[in-house]
Amino acid sequence: MATASVDQRVRSDVLQVSDLRVYYHTPRGAVKAVDGVSFAIQRGERFGLAGESGSGKSSMALALMRMIKAPGQIEGGEVWLDGRNVLSLSESEMRKVRLAEMAMVAQGSMNSLNPVMRIGDQIADAYRDHDVVLTKREADERIAALLGRVGLRPDVVRLFPHELSGGMKQRVCIAIAISLTPKVIIADEPTSALDVVVQRQVIETLRRVQQEIGASVILVGHDMGLMAQSVDRLGVMYAGRLAEVAPVKEIFSNPTHPYTKLLIASLPSLDQKGEFKGIAGLPPVLIDPPPGCRFWPRCPYAIDRCQVDVPELREVRPNVMAACHLL
Amino acid sequence: MEAPLLEAKNVTKIFGGGLFNKNVTVALENYSMQLHESPPSITAVVGESGSGKTTLARLLLGLITPTSGVVAYRGLSLATMGGSDWRRFRREVQVIMQDPYEVYNPFYKVDHVLTTPIDHFGLAKSKAEGRAMIEQALEAVGLRVEETLGRYPHQLSGGQRQRVMVARALLLRPKVILADEPVSMIDASLRATILGSLSRLNREFGISILYITHDLTTAYQIGENIVVLYRGAVAELGEVGQVVKEPQHPYTRLLVGSIPLPDPNHSWSAEAASSGVKITRGVGCKFADRCPSAMERCAREEPPLFQTGDHRAAACFLYEGAPTLKPEHMANVFVSGTIAAA
Repeated sequence: MATASVDQRVRSDVLQVSDLRVYYHTPRGAVKAVDGVSFAIQRGERFGLAGESGSGKSSMALALMRMIKAPGQIEGGEVWLDGRNVLSLSESEMRKVRLAEMAMVAQGSMNSLNPVMRIGDQIADAYRDHDVVLTKREADERIAALLGRVGLRPDVVRLFPHELSGGMKQRVCIAIAISLTPKVIIADEPTSALDVVVQRQVIETLRRVQQEIGASVILVGHDMGLMAQSVDRLGVMYAGRLAEVAPVKEIFSNPTHPYTKLLIASLPSLDQKGEFKGIAGLPPVLIDPPPGCRFWPRCPYAIDRCQVDVPELREVRPNVMAACHLL
Repeated sequence: MEAPLLEAKNVTKIFGGGLFNKNVTVALENYSMQLHESPPSITAVVGESGSGKTTLARLLLGLITPTSGVVAYRGLSLATMGGSDWRRFRREVQVIMQDPYEVYNPFYKVDHVLTTPIDHFGLAKSKAEGRAMIEQALEAVGLRVEETLGRYPHQLSGGQRQRVMVARALLLRPKVILADEPVSMIDASLRATILGSLSRLNREFGISILYITHDLTTAYQIGENIVVLYRGAVAELGEVGQVVKEPQHPYTRLLVGSIPLPDPNHSWSAEAASSGVKITRGVGCKFADRCPSAMERCAREEPPLFQTGDHRAAACFLYEGAPTLKPEHMANVFVSGTIAAA
């Protein structure tokens, strides 16, 4: 059975992450922001990475792009992108991988647009930087097509960022992200600064272009409602580790890990009114996390073993992986 | 009848438009509301960015003055109120801001934000009494005293910091709390706890709450009545369950339809694009350019509020025929006392 599953993985997985660890080195010790995370994503799949602040989800996204900055460091693990371990590439090789094979739409990336450069020139930059040689006319055509894909008018080419709304700027960022048809798009809270109506338009744009170019998407975020509406499979992170990975319908209808259960129960809905079920306690400090399972101090079901042994993420039902001793 | 505790009467706030600046922004237009001392209520004000919801909070706190109209506290206009009334105002009207990071001075321990109001208003006769009050307030919002006092702001999480702010507001035994996006920077698992604390302050301590937010789901969870703002004007108002479950104004419908519900089986509903109706600033319905039901007259005339039911009203010509509701009578459609009874 083991060989069969490996074969299958080779065929359909575009990204495989194994035992990834990202630590931030501070004078008081190492903050273990990502501590042994493994998962795999299929071609064309929309995968969500959900977690609260400090759960390591953004460090995770940056680590995949190898954009962790000091004092942070990738301590170990492997990130296989279509058969290549990107963690072992040289920096110049990695520069070619970024955008061309793996692109990122970052949190508030609309503020990363150059304020004194026209939108068209900023998109053209992406081609130039990746040595795509185009004539002026070819470039114009491609850029117009890209803008059309993300639902922007062609005259946006000549505009400056300040002339666009937040939602339009975020679409420009999506246009840049898909300019070289990457295999994986990492979107880290792409809509956290936008109003709900615009948020929905941007997420739907992302979904449409992702399907058109056949890329996989990793959507990183804290909004479980947004995850429910936009991904196929969801990984729930807690304190630097994955608590559960399962199809999104499964997570919402039948959560497995105690943390996921409590998180889903704490979400405000339009069905029931006036019941507030928070999770008691606080996430651990990642310099000195509790031994064993990191959720046990807040877990209503914790047993003695949880305080000692680290639970491994394993398949508890078909397609459902969870890291809990009780399962 | 007793004067309302806090009242806005036909308040308009316009920014800009000085001698050299022709661009004016109408942040809030002809807005009226009343918050009574009893029964204690929870009113949610919902809007997107630019809807005027924060302008409303700042007007009600007296931080900015209205361009026209009056904000009054116990029947006294804030514009002409004297020193002793301001002192009482500042005790009875408390605020919880969005960002639980910026309200703290990083050089002081968190105790500072709790002892300052006690000293300022002379709430306690002795240090021990003050300490006991602080401990009681912290416990009321679900914080452990030993994990909170004596620490610096950076040693607490965002959720803890925000709960300390709720405790601070509670210390003063205010009559009303303005909460401007109190949970938008808080994680989901702690958000419910803070909303629970606010709701308990309302029930157990009889404090009225004005809950200002962009998030319809939490507004629905905590609120009794709701006011939906769009570009400075009231689009719809009424009992929260009716408004959220069966929105009448096309804007509220769009907003409700855009909520990403945490239920993969209930997908985002169909959405309105632009209507093709061109609007001129300052004329007609502000939502006409995005409204799927827009008619030609929407671009010319501004719809008044139509009272479509006992406990709801919408500013939309689709409901023409229903009696109109004057802005100053908006409070008439609100239900009151349902939370105290529940």
